Amino acid sequence: MKHTFQQFFRSGKFVFGFSIFVAILLLTFIYPLIIPDPPLEIVAQGTFFEPGIYVSVYDSLGTTPHTLNLDGAAAKRIASKLNEEDRLAMKEWLVAAGIPENEIDTADTQKLLDLWMDNYDPTENIPGMTNARRNYFIRLNNSLKGLLSTEGAIIAEVNPETGTLEQVDVITQTDYVNINQVANVRVLPFGTDNFGRDVLTELVAATRVSLVIGFVSGTIATLIGLTLGLLAGYIGGVVDDIIMFFTNLFTVIPSFVLLILISFSIGQEQRGAVTIAVVIGLTSWFWTARAVRAQVISLRNRDHVNLSKLSGHSIVHIIITDILPYIASYVIMALILQISAGILAEAQLSILGLGPRTTVVPTLGLMMNWALIYQAQILGKWWAYLPVLVTIALITFSMNLMNTGLDQVFNPALRE
Amino acid sequence: MSNPVMLEVKGLTTKYITRFREDVYAVDHVSLKVEEGKSLGIAGESGCGKSTLALSLMGYYFPPLHYTSGEIIIDGRNISRMDPDDIRRDILGTEISYIPQSAMNALNPTQKIISFIEDVVQAHEPSRTKKDIHDLARKSFEVLGLPAEVLQKYPVELSGGMKQRTVIATSVILSPKVLIADEPSSALDVTSQKMVIKMLKNLLEHGFTKSMIFITHELPLLYNVTDDIMVMYAGQIVEKGTAQEAVFDPLHPYSKGLMGSIIVPEYGLRDVELTAIPGVPPNLKNPPAGCRFAERCKYVRAECEANPVPLHDVGGGRAYRCILSERELRDFYTREAHMREAHQNAG
Amino acid sequence: MKGYRKYFLNKLLWFLITFVCAFLLNFILPRLMPGDPVAAIVSRLAQGMSNTTGVQAIYQQYADLFGTNKPMVEQFFIYVRNVFRGDFGFSFAQYPRTVADVIKSSIVWTAALQFPAIIVGWLIGNTLGALAAYLKGGFDKVLMPVSIFVSNFPPFGMAVILMVIFGVSLKWFPTSGGYGFDLIPSFSWSFIWSVIVHYQLPFWSIVLIAIGGQAIGMRSMSIYELNADYVKYSRFMGIKDRKIVGYVFRNAMLPQITGLALSIGTMVGGALVAEIIFSYPGLGSTILTAVRGGDYPLISATTLIITIMVLIANFVIEISYGFIDPRIKAAQSD
Repeated sequence: MKHTFQQFFRSGKFVFGFSIFVAILLLTFIYPLIIPDPPLEIVAQGTFFEPGIYVSVYDSLGTTPHTLNLDGAAAKRIASKLNEEDRLAMKEWLVAAGIPENEIDTADTQKLLDLWMDNYDPTENIPGMTNARRNYFIRLNNSLKGLLSTEGAIIAEVNPETGTLEQVDVITQTDYVNINQVANVRVLPFGTDNFGRDVLTELVAATRVSLVIGFVSGTIATLIGLTLGLLAGYIGGVVDDIIMFFTNLFTVIPSFVLLILISFSIGQEQRGAVTIAVVIGLTSWFWTARAVRAQVISLRNRDHVNLSKLSGHSIVHIIITDILPYIASYVIMALILQISAGILAEAQLSILGLGPRTTVVPTLGLMMNWALIYQAQILGKWWAYLPVLVTIALITFSMNLMNTGLDQVFNPALRE
Repeated sequence: MSNPVMLEVKGLTTKYITRFREDVYAVDHVSLKVEEGKSLGIAGESGCGKSTLALSLMGYYFPPLHYTSGEIIIDGRNISRMDPDDIRRDILGTEISYIPQSAMNALNPTQKIISFIEDVVQAHEPSRTKKDIHDLARKSFEVLGLPAEVLQKYPVELSGGMKQRTVIATSVILSPKVLIADEPSSALDVTSQKMVIKMLKNLLEHGFTKSMIFITHELPLLYNVTDDIMVMYAGQIVEKGTAQEAVFDPLHPYSKGLMGSIIVPEYGLRDVELTAIPGVPPNLKNPPAGCRFAERCKYVRAECEANPVPLHDVGGGRAYRCILSERELRDFYTREAHMREAHQNAG
Repeated sequence: MKGYRKYFLNKLLWFLITFVCAFLLNFILPRLMPGDPVAAIVSRLAQGMSNTTGVQAIYQQYADLFGTNKPMVEQFFIYVRNVFRGDFGFSFAQYPRTVADVIKSSIVWTAALQFPAIIVGWLIGNTLGALAAYLKGGFDKVLMPVSIFVSNFPPFGMAVILMVIFGVSLKWFPTSGGYGFDLIPSFSWSFIWSVIVHYQLPFWSIVLIAIGGQAIGMRSMSIYELNADYVKYSRFMGIKDRKIVGYVFRNAMLPQITGLALSIGTMVGGALVAEIIFSYPGLGSTILTAVRGGDYPLISATTLIITIMVLIANFVIEISYGFIDPRIKAAQSD
């Protein structure tokens, strides 16, 4: 048996898949040690904050400013304020005013602004332009002037005695804060979700729960499948017929439908992650039973088994010492498949709204479900669904790689 | 005046190229000759290169097996420089034919036997009509003692022995000049084995093939079926002679070991396989520089491992690959026989 | 032909048995759970639907229809009778629509989407897999990683990705629905065009998923067959490669057909979820609305219908397999 396990690592594919899997597993344990926040805590007011580093504005004001004279800082500031629509509008006006179109580059902020400042004249009447449009350009021009201003922002306080605002501080355009000196900074690598929860923290917790669901459902399915497969294959006869009847039956009746029916009937209140895992396990054992039975039948009449029978060993003894070691690799492959199938089944159930109870723990499926309900995919909030998809894909990918690797070790005929 | 030579092989060398780009010379400078109406047996342990030799003799190579050097001449026609497509069209199945190691899976499972025979015949003679081919197949099957109904069946419907006999009949459907049978009976039960062997003997008598090469690890079979025997070890021929000579008067210590095990009277001829010599054949990725058998040889000397040992021609078709002289070897063997006798008498 | 008849009857019998079992399961499973359906209904009624007369009507109708206060066996026969009449009662959430009505309007969409997509995916996947096995080299090196990657993607993930790329970013296709929301189903060109356009993304996301898995399976099947003894023997008998490749792919395809019969249930399950992503007006979306509305009669009927559809598909594949594999006609003929 130990030798069997050592053989696994001879396959490069297995090792690669195993490494990915272990990396994911380690992450789910290490991350909570570093960031111990509860995964479902709502941190953001509002939906779908973009990924990034969030710096407290209030705390920034309280820190000592440092003066940095950086080239192009002003240009960058303006560039970030001027949106695409404004740029195109500026171009439109300039073209209408007779500037050749090929001289205008909306991507070059400095040049565009220079051109604008040199040519724009609010009094100029462009034929065919509505009044509203003209006013828009006047407003645009004013805001551009504001952008170009080099004065600092004034911070004022209300004087409790006079009730008037008094200037306390001026923040010049060359003032910088060192982010390390700001008391409150929160990194949200994947932003926040529709409820304002930190997606990464939630994702790590969800991955752990989904893996647990996969392991529980996979183990249950494998144990049932293994037991039934061994009985059917080794004992044969009527036992085999009965077991195979049910195995065939559940192979054709879609297990997904059974899952829906059972999960719905259990009811929202009773549906914990483990319950769901058990239900998934109970509805997906037949593939394993089938595979194990086929293997056992091919082993049943081998010499060493016959020898054991002649020596008067009990069925249990024969199964454990003469059959199990030979099918161990198949059982492990089946288990790996069942785990990834379990994770997928949970995700699909959750998308249907039949996943685990939502207030306790996140799962990958629930996160996907929330993202879909709030239409993250249509709103372009990729951070709400893409990391979830990638995680699911990585888990199934790593497991499939492990399986392919094992297949290559144990079925050399399929090599190449 | 001897019969015309059907197959002559001169210094044939072929190699496997492994996935890791290593060369494994599984057939190393093999020369042989088979005359019309004769059969040649090739013996050796599994892994000695005899099955590879069977494949190599066809003159048609596909990865991982590659041709290196040597010549194959079938009935005076040298095929070793021929274009592979031409070999396939003009030679395979018509001049030289093959019976694979396991007939169990040698037939396409979703095709009726007759349909496969049609494909075989039409690959070489596209103008032949179906009716013509059916007549031919029925006649051959009849002569070879196979029921004609077999032709209308799928391979799954045939028993193992019947499948093997069907494959044999299919292989000789175009009356080849050389037939190569690679362990055609090894996977069968004793009764089927007997029938297959009887059928193989019949092939030469009835002219279904003009000559035959029979490869097996079961020596007694060779002695019963073939005229000459060649013993292979680690890709090389180590002994050549008539069946009588090779079995009852072997020269090479390896052949002696093989044959010795079956002549010991306690054992029935039939039941002994070529596994009686301790040790395993060398790894052909890095064959020993000197004698390849040295490692397992009782009579090994220092000079054995220094240089490659040439095949020593004794004359009259006999040859062996050993640095010891015929006389030295025979002395060893006689002494051992005496010792064994003395030991038995004492006990 | 006698062999085939035997095979056919065998498969038909098995189909009927599975049908009965599926029917039983559909009836029993929800009733085995803690909180039987009637209790669930009552509790949901208490949670308040605004339409009180509707609630009363449903409750009355449901009790009458399914005889919920009668013994289990009697309930079962009432259930059987109703189902064969096509009477599944009223939908809770969409009262006064009947369940049969809701299902009738969605089943066509699902059938027209999923089965063509699965078949197209199966065909393309097998062709690619066979080509990868035969051509090897560059084609194989590109196709296989792509297939493995695609097949590891959950079906709903593929749907989301296609939607984001082709629906949201490129705006080539609409992102939801089965036809334009401003159109009324009719046989006008604008409606048919709208249906075709809306069909593309759900269709291709199901096709892509099927391709990945099938290509991998067919490739290893073909490699296995290409190394089979009969290939070597046929070569040594001088048969042309083109003919041998014909043998190989025919033989490699047969297990793929059986494989499709076995996996069609799983494929349909994944495709239902893909439907939901696109708010396609099929059974997937029906389940979703039913789940959200706690609509027990609708769920029960929809799952039954899906099971029957899968069983029929499975049966059709099995009986066509009998035509394709010559051994079936021969094997049992004596």
